[in-house]
Amino acid sequence: MNALRSGIRASAAGDIARIGPETVVRRYRFAPGFIGFSGHFPGNPILPAIVQVCAVVSLAEEEGGKALRLAAVRSAKFLSPIRPDQEVSIRYRRRVDSAEEFCDATLSVAGKTAAAFQLRLAEEETPR
Amino acid sequence: MSPEVALPMAASLLIPHRMPMRLVDTLLSVHAGCGVTESVLPRTSMMADGEGRLDEVVFMELIAQSYAAVKGYMDLLEGKPAGEGFLVGVRHMAFTGGAHAGDLLRTSVRTVTSFGGFAVVEGSVTRGDETVASGIIKLWIVEGGR
Repeated sequence: MNALRSGIRASAAGDIARIGPETVVRRYRFAPGFIGFSGHFPGNPILPAIVQVCAVVSLAEEEGGKALRLAAVRSAKFLSPIRPDQEVSIRYRRRVDSAEEFCDATLSVAGKTAAAFQLRLAEEETPR
Repeated sequence: MSPEVALPMAASLLIPHRMPMRLVDTLLSVHAGCGVTESVLPRTSMMADGEGRLDEVVFMELIAQSYAAVKGYMDLLEGKPAGEGFLVGVRHMAFTGGAHAGDLLRTSVRTVTSFGGFAVVEGSVTRGDETVASGIIKLWIVEGGR
């Protein structure tokens, strides 16, 4: 597992909660020292969009108990910046379409959607 | 053109990202809204695993940072400070290959359209002859943001 994914997992602020047959949610809090803020940007830390995507892949891996590879991103909107120490709720719904596995994800801060996107995930032989 | 803005140019002079999140090393060329950059990620990258394999999200960021470098270069040519860019959307992005730390990655970007502070950008990342990612993203550029 790479350091970014390790840092993301360490930033979980609660357990994975199942709120529907294919839908789970988990809270995160990314501290000022979280590796994903490093260099992005000096004096103006913002959680990078790619870290938000990576957080969903990491959550899907933990929830599904198998290593996953990101195959595609679609219809992504990063609507508002996520700052250090904000509580972020990540929610995703997994679905299978034409034998491919998709993940519809939203990240919310204080009940407001900060990002939404669709991922296509593929199984990986070994974890990152 | 002053020698200070001649290509190739270090990306660190053109974009606000700093290590370890600055993934683009060098802006190689710019022409008519298109640009090419070069990157080699170190083994110590936060997005490389124990075997050096890079997380696919790296490729998405390379496209975003490469466009920011092109825009920063054009700002410098006009005597303006380089703006700060934010990735605000991805229309679609496909990850069709992999790469490792130490691989030479070339990223090509093309401005599809720009309006206000927004730009729609088509990009691809190649490792040798293999395209490892391609897609269309949307960025918001804050003029002179640094």
